[in-house]
Amino acid sequence: MEVQKEAQRIMTLSVWKMYHSRMQRGGLRLHRSLQLSLIMRSAREVYLSAKVEAHEEPGVPSQPACSLDPRLHPPREAQTRVEAALSDSEQLCPEPMDTQEAPRAEESPARCAPRPAKISRKRRSSSLANSGDAGLVPSKKARLEEEGAEEGESSEISNRLQPPPAQAEGAFPNLARVLQRRFSGLLNCSPAVPPTVPPPPACEAKPVCRRADSMLNVLVRAVVAF
Amino acid sequence: MKCFSRYLPYIFRPPNTILSSSCHTEADIISTVEFNHTGELLATGDKGGRVVIFQREQESKNQVHRRGEYNVYSTFQSHEPEFDYLKSLEIEEKINKIRWLPQQNAAYFLLSTNDKTVKLWKVSERDKRPEGYNLKDEEGRLRDPATITTLRVPVLRPMDLMVEATPRRVFANAHTYHINSISVNSDYETYMSADDLRINLWNFEITNQSFNIVDIKPANMEELTEVITAAEFHPHHCNTFVYSSSKGTIRLCDMRASALCDRHTKFFEEPEDPSNRSFFSEIISSISDVKFSHSGRYIMTRDYLTVKVWDLNMESRPIETYQVHDYLRSKLCSLYENDCIFDKFECVWNGSDSVIMTGSYNNFFRMFDRNTKRDVTLEASRENSKPRAILKPRKVCVGGKRRKDEISVDSLDFSKKILHTAWHPSENIIAVAATNNLYIFQDKVN
Repeated sequence: MEVQKEAQRIMTLSVWKMYHSRMQRGGLRLHRSLQLSLIMRSAREVYLSAKVEAHEEPGVPSQPACSLDPRLHPPREAQTRVEAALSDSEQLCPEPMDTQEAPRAEESPARCAPRPAKISRKRRSSSLANSGDAGLVPSKKARLEEEGAEEGESSEISNRLQPPPAQAEGAFPNLARVLQRRFSGLLNCSPAVPPTVPPPPACEAKPVCRRADSMLNVLVRAVVAF
Repeated sequence: MKCFSRYLPYIFRPPNTILSSSCHTEADIISTVEFNHTGELLATGDKGGRVVIFQREQESKNQVHRRGEYNVYSTFQSHEPEFDYLKSLEIEEKINKIRWLPQQNAAYFLLSTNDKTVKLWKVSERDKRPEGYNLKDEEGRLRDPATITTLRVPVLRPMDLMVEATPRRVFANAHTYHINSISVNSDYETYMSADDLRINLWNFEITNQSFNIVDIKPANMEELTEVITAAEFHPHHCNTFVYSSSKGTIRLCDMRASALCDRHTKFFEEPEDPSNRSFFSEIISSISDVKFSHSGRYIMTRDYLTVKVWDLNMESRPIETYQVHDYLRSKLCSLYENDCIFDKFECVWNGSDSVIMTGSYNNFFRMFDRNTKRDVTLEASRENSKPRAILKPRKVCVGGKRRKDEISVDSLDFSKKILHTAWHPSENIIAVAATNNLYIFQDKVN
């Protein structure tokens, strides 16, 4: 579970960085984008493999094969299985995000990438609202309410391994804010650990109730959009 | 405990002055440093598109202690911000690289490049001016021909030294992606420029054409797996060059083999150590700099945590690997969060190829003696750099009890990074760029 959370955090962070990199001077850097996508892919693989393991052993607390940290060793066999499953599902669904409905998220655990069983004519926003991801959908009403509280973009480099600065408003202000909140909450506790011991995963200030699959769906969609 | 400085081949002392801009802005951040072939000149480029050239003082018998210090010789604006209207993108004026041409006459020539355009600059001195024109007066105004009664020959009279920089060539519109490297060929007639996916070969005299010699762009960009990160010509063989990739590989190409050097002649890659595999393995293995040794027999590569020396005759693994700051391996997650993991450090050889140097964080830079296998960490800072004092070796405490003069990993300042360094081609003089400050250290004078 911790492994999943950490992988999710890394993916969120990567999406944020990719979004932010579009606004920097000089335009999108190909090398940076490639590196971010590699990280996202690694995090996604670890997340999915951890999820597969958790599903395969229900009731047993998921023990990650290794700590999810700089000295992480992604379980290769699980990774291969997940990749095979993913490749199948991706062939069926090049746009995994289009029409995911809440009940569909509970499909076979091997289908880690969401796959619509049928094309739904429902609007995407309402389907996501049902699944609990309303905060990630651009909402006119939310935008008007929170317009006054927007933070400006900061380009300072952190000195002491601090969380990155607030995200500038863009096409998806709520998405950015949710990602930032979630990200900041995860990073606010910074335990001092000896270098020889892998630092524990960042704790969440406030657990957010949302389906992990849907969160993954949104993140993947964000990547596709960029 | 042994004092590393005793075993160092060189003991550096800081200069009398540290060259820096008075107020630090983003534009003042130094982005490249390069000595010319004789070491007489040192060029720096910054994020504001400016080039500042320092010249070494002539040694004077009267002031022995001021042994050849560097002073500002010329400053000019090399690149300006531009706008690509087709893509609606701003093109940064930041100088990515400067490369000197060998001096062939009284003038100096250098190449400077930003993300898209390479320029050839001529830096020349003017210390005389002609006087005594017949048709013009001293202010340059035309004289009334009726008033001219005598004929005289204009003479050159001395004037205050003026150094002028003029752009002689502009090599533009040849790169779709961001230029990361330029390298002058040993034939002194051509040079190459490399971006993320392509390398172009230019002739200095021709600005509207270039030859594409490497193209790794896939037909489908979704299949992109690696990019070019650095490229350099062999110092002696004008047909040979190397380029490094984001996957940690180096390819050596021979231009005699084919016009398009997509197929490498040699491929240098070290097998990945499974015990070190992590989330960030792929990105920390990306090579940020590649440099041929002066002899041409070795190449040195810098990735995020190590410097490696490769023998051109052995492709399977490097012959030497030096850990620059391995204590950061456990901090990669945090370094990813603050973007430091994407920093591109450079590396340099000394004149005899016996010592290599590279930068780190907290304004530290590291030197590795290839013969004695000794290494030292030094710091470029005003507080620790009193004139004519010897630079004190620094040490990072990775765990356990921290000594008085050690610094813990958590106390490192990651905003103070040394990405660009240069080593004099023949003497023990090094230039270290620390954000907007340029430190020049010289070997201790006995």
